[in-house]
Amino acid sequence: MPDPLLYLQAMGAAAVISALVVLIIAWFRPIALARRTPQLCILGIGLGMMTGYGMLSFPWDWPPSNALNRFLLIVIPAVCVLESLAGDSPVAIRVTWIARIVLAMLAPRILLHGSVYLKEWNVGQSWIMLGACGSMLSGVWILLSRYTARSPGISLPIGLALSVQSAGLAVMLAGYIKGGVAAIPIAATLWGTAFALWMVRSASVDSVRGATRVLVGIGVVGLFGILVVGEYFGRLPSSSAFVILVSPLMCWITELPGLRRMRPHLKGMLAVLLITIPLLMVLFVAKREFDRTMAPLLGRYLPPGSLRQETLS
Amino acid sequence: MRQLFSAGILMLLTSALVASSAGFALAADEYDYDLVHSSVSFKARHLDISWIHGRFNEVEGKFSLDRENPAKSTFQLTIKADSVDTANKARDEHLRQPDYFDTKQYPTIEFKSTSTKAIEGGYEVTGDFTMHGKTKKITFVLKGGKEHEFRGVKRVGFSTELSVKRSEYGFDKSGIGPIGDEVLIYIDCEGMRK
Repeated sequence: MPDPLLYLQAMGAAAVISALVVLIIAWFRPIALARRTPQLCILGIGLGMMTGYGMLSFPWDWPPSNALNRFLLIVIPAVCVLESLAGDSPVAIRVTWIARIVLAMLAPRILLHGSVYLKEWNVGQSWIMLGACGSMLSGVWILLSRYTARSPGISLPIGLALSVQSAGLAVMLAGYIKGGVAAIPIAATLWGTAFALWMVRSASVDSVRGATRVLVGIGVVGLFGILVVGEYFGRLPSSSAFVILVSPLMCWITELPGLRRMRPHLKGMLAVLLITIPLLMVLFVAKREFDRTMAPLLGRYLPPGSLRQETLS
Repeated sequence: MRQLFSAGILMLLTSALVASSAGFALAADEYDYDLVHSSVSFKARHLDISWIHGRFNEVEGKFSLDRENPAKSTFQLTIKADSVDTANKARDEHLRQPDYFDTKQYPTIEFKSTSTKAIEGGYEVTGDFTMHGKTKKITFVLKGGKEHEFRGVKRVGFSTELSVKRSEYGFDKSGIGPIGDEVLIYIDCEGMRK
């Protein structure tokens, strides 16, 4: 059964730990922070996630046998390692992007490993489906990274945290509780690290820009993983998954003529607001569907006449 | 002389073949699970005050019965987890999700015997039970074994009850609470000889 209090505690702990790692190092070792901000953010995110998943008593098995474990034990660590190794030289940037696209193309295959889909689809269908998923992830990742390069700041990481949180809620409302809960530590660490970066922004502007790229990478891959697991293994509708995945791209509206020269903090707030609109629409539909199909299972009283219509239709 | 020798060889070969096939038939009868006259059902506690009943509608199986040497008898059953039916569509959809059966990842529940022992009124069967991707050895008593020939098809019937704990098969612990950990499974099956 869902335990909202535990979820809040795990979320709070994950956010606080990820923020504290960055803030403590910024306080005691400001030079180290300036040189290694992306790596320190990844350390904070890693420790925050471990705390959050530990509090949520996530069951781990190795080798991972289900999609959620493969997501949390292979895909998320892979993106963290990749982003921590990313360099700033032109060659390093190219190599990093090749690695990001390889990871994006491999992620759907890793998540669907051993499932009925890979047995039911023929080779051609598998290539099309996995290729489409990988291309979608690559496309969103590239577009959001481009946006970060144009408008550095924490608005996009906050928008991604909201998207991950909404994806988790939508997956839960569709009936896959653990799949939705998995989003909590990811969203929380994005919140925590974004807050910490905002606190230290004046100390090291350039390194904050690099760290934002890290948050975007982890946020996009985290969002994609939650949605794929929810759609292919739970009952999250494809339309909802698609809208949630592309909702962070709404931030690009702030780059339209007339809006792009707004003050940075106003532009950031507008970007977050624009990202939130489609998310709220998806959650509204998900809640309505939950009330129609799932709520009776959780003990809501139904008059005798309505039971058949609500649960057997 | 040459023809006589060939005929003799042919007779020998034929009789050897007949004898071996007859010996095989005597040794073990092969049966297919008859979906029409069998059922796999289950019940689990709800809030520890009542029971929820359900069944699996798609089951396949085969077993071979060796009456002379029961230790050589084998039993196999494959249940399609997607066919879970608790007379409530929304609940069935929920049960198919990863918090419960995770049918897209683990589409089948399987049993394969590893040893069989004849006991009074049936067999004691030990084997590997795989559910939710986890395999455990279980032992249960298979009652019955009566045969009946109906319209030229030899049939045999068995029934058993067994209890499994979901927590031992990697089910999500947060889903254990309102629905009890222990599930009682009832298998009533009829086999048709191939």
